[in-house]
Amino acid sequence: MSINAIAKKYSYKTLAERELEDANEEYEHFVPNLSTMSPSLTLPPISQPTEFLRAHTDDSVNPECKIKIAHGTTTLAFRFQGGIVVAVDSRATAGSWVASQTVKKVIEINPMLLGTMAGGAADCQYWETWLGTQCRLHELRNKERISVAAASKILCNLMYEYKGMGLSMGTMVCGCTPKEGPTIYYVDSDGTRLKGDMFSVGSGQTFAYGVMDSNYRWDLTVDEALYLGKRAILAATHRDAYSGGSINLFHVTEKGWVYHGNYDVGPLFWEIKEKEGSFNNVKV
Amino acid sequence: MQAQNTLLNTEYSTDAQTEPIEHRFNPYQDNGGTILGIAGEDFAVLAGDTRQTVGYSIDSRYEPKVHDVGDNLLLSANGFSADGVQLVKVFQNQLKWYHFDNNKEMAVSSAARLIQHMLYRKRMFPYYVATILAGLDEEGKGAIYSFDPVGSYEREQCRAGGAAASLIMPFLDNQVNFKNQMDPESNGTKRRPLKYLSLEEVIQLVRDAFTSATERHIEVGDGLQILIVTKDGVRSEYFPLKKD
Amino acid sequence: MSQQDPSTINGGSAVAMVGKDCVAIASDLRLGQQSMGVSNDFEKIFHYGHVFLGLTGLGTDVLTVSENFRMKTNLYKMAEQREIEPESFANLVSTSLYEKRFGPWFVGPIVAGLNSISSKPFVCGFDYIGCIDYAKDFIVAGTASEQLFGMCESLYEPNLEPDDLFETISQALLNAVDRDALSGWGAVVYVITKDKVVKRYLKTRQD
Repeated sequence: MSINAIAKKYSYKTLAERELEDANEEYEHFVPNLSTMSPSLTLPPISQPTEFLRAHTDDSVNPECKIKIAHGTTTLAFRFQGGIVVAVDSRATAGSWVASQTVKKVIEINPMLLGTMAGGAADCQYWETWLGTQCRLHELRNKERISVAAASKILCNLMYEYKGMGLSMGTMVCGCTPKEGPTIYYVDSDGTRLKGDMFSVGSGQTFAYGVMDSNYRWDLTVDEALYLGKRAILAATHRDAYSGGSINLFHVTEKGWVYHGNYDVGPLFWEIKEKEGSFNNVKV
Repeated sequence: MQAQNTLLNTEYSTDAQTEPIEHRFNPYQDNGGTILGIAGEDFAVLAGDTRQTVGYSIDSRYEPKVHDVGDNLLLSANGFSADGVQLVKVFQNQLKWYHFDNNKEMAVSSAARLIQHMLYRKRMFPYYVATILAGLDEEGKGAIYSFDPVGSYEREQCRAGGAAASLIMPFLDNQVNFKNQMDPESNGTKRRPLKYLSLEEVIQLVRDAFTSATERHIEVGDGLQILIVTKDGVRSEYFPLKKD
Repeated sequence: MSQQDPSTINGGSAVAMVGKDCVAIASDLRLGQQSMGVSNDFEKIFHYGHVFLGLTGLGTDVLTVSENFRMKTNLYKMAEQREIEPESFANLVSTSLYEKRFGPWFVGPIVAGLNSISSKPFVCGFDYIGCIDYAKDFIVAGTASEQLFGMCESLYEPNLEPDDLFETISQALLNAVDRDALSGWGAVVYVITKDKVVKRYLKTRQD
């Protein structure tokens, strides 16, 4: 007879222990699949729900559509010697109307994972916070932090499930785990999922790539990398009408992500122009 | 066959055959109107005009759309009024159940997240509304949350929504967040420092914003309803606007 | 869908205001190709003698129309042996635009100036086929016109001195274009009084 068995004979279960046992029993039958993982969405009571959604929300199909969904962005993330730098702008537009200059386009999925936001603001915000809860459930079930690969795949599978339904989202899932090291996955609403070292997503992506490609090196110091991220977004906010507002900067390491501040493009542009002697297309 | 031909052989028969009749499901309507929320240090206001329109017609000159939904929360969903009313009703019902389940008041941040889920639930068949939620946060500071039709949201100092949002929002940037204003002493090197506005200043700004919008937007006017939330509860004020 | 609206391809906005014995007219400096900014020194204010014309809309038409008016006002000057007055110029703009009723210039013009005889301030605006909108306070045009209406209607007061008028029109323009993705990238302001014209460039956000 083991000591545990003897102890069990003379002890009783506390309420908390019994509840925990019940909960565990419930979860034993729980096979994670998407239909149980995601909440249900209401569909319009007609034969072609997707056509309906497109007619009422897609301004490229119907410019007069009543429900304007925010578009336009520049976001970037790149891997380097010291981890990952994530930088984004903060403008939301509906047509040419600037709906907001203060959008949070980096979504803190949990203290280790970051997701960026391009495309439909609601789609990104909603599904990335949802991804946060899925990651937490993974931790509770498996007593281990989720890998970036797995996290991005949950999101990607969800996107594939809704493919063709009109969701719009282009995101970079960034994180760092002991197994993987610093990792970036690009996931979009078509169901694309790519691992890579450098991504930029949004209407201003070409301008950001232009700066990154000419100044990027693997052995950038952390300060240099943060500056490059900031500088690439600045260039994009300058040329792209649908990007602007302010820049949010993040650095991801094996200890989690660190926020490196918000920089209003208004004063930042003149400051960097003077310091670098760049942007000579702008007078004064 | 013969009977059908005689029936179709009228002067319109060619039109009837060549012109297909368009059937499309259009459940949406634009009822105009504008709403505006501003947060202060220890208060928040949510204001809206009371005109309700369809096209060029005025259906009502007094149909209040800013609601005191309980728990020191103000909610308004502007755009298609049927959707707006439905959203507020569903929210109030959810709030009631929250009280039964949790036996406490709902925090404004929780209310905001709940509204996100209510809006996103209808992602494929959206509520056609711009939504603003006002209240006091856990520290007692004024809070404004604004939502797009499908639930993306953000906490802000101020926000205008609806028909005349494009007229009012730049004015708010300038007068609440002091955008493009400089400290006169600094010769254009320093921004005018931010400060919390008093309730009197905020109400004056709201009234100015709405009189201006009324002047230049046909869907705005008749009356201005302002709801003010402080730690002592919700107070309501009404000011007439031009009725033309 | 590649259908595009000529009046919003290049972007840009302009505004004019009446003060006490003075007028002001201002525009942004952006010229874009849809979302991409191309030029930041595209001034949309032109002057013919003491009359000022703001032209927003399709970039190519802005340049062509402004040159056409240069020709027409020069011919006017030779025939009449004097500079054209704002009131007459407004009618010239109107008739010139209506000539192209069925193949219009895609422009949103505004006119500002002081009458050289009476010193009376004058501002007016037009639709793109020449309907004149006389105003005693302010006139707006361009892709940020809604935002400008909101700003002007709330900031404007009658009988402002030149310095105050400058501040008012500048704040109206600046805050309006900051809420429009297709306008901005610098601004220029003219304050016109009886004996001098002051032109100032504003330092603005560059996003």
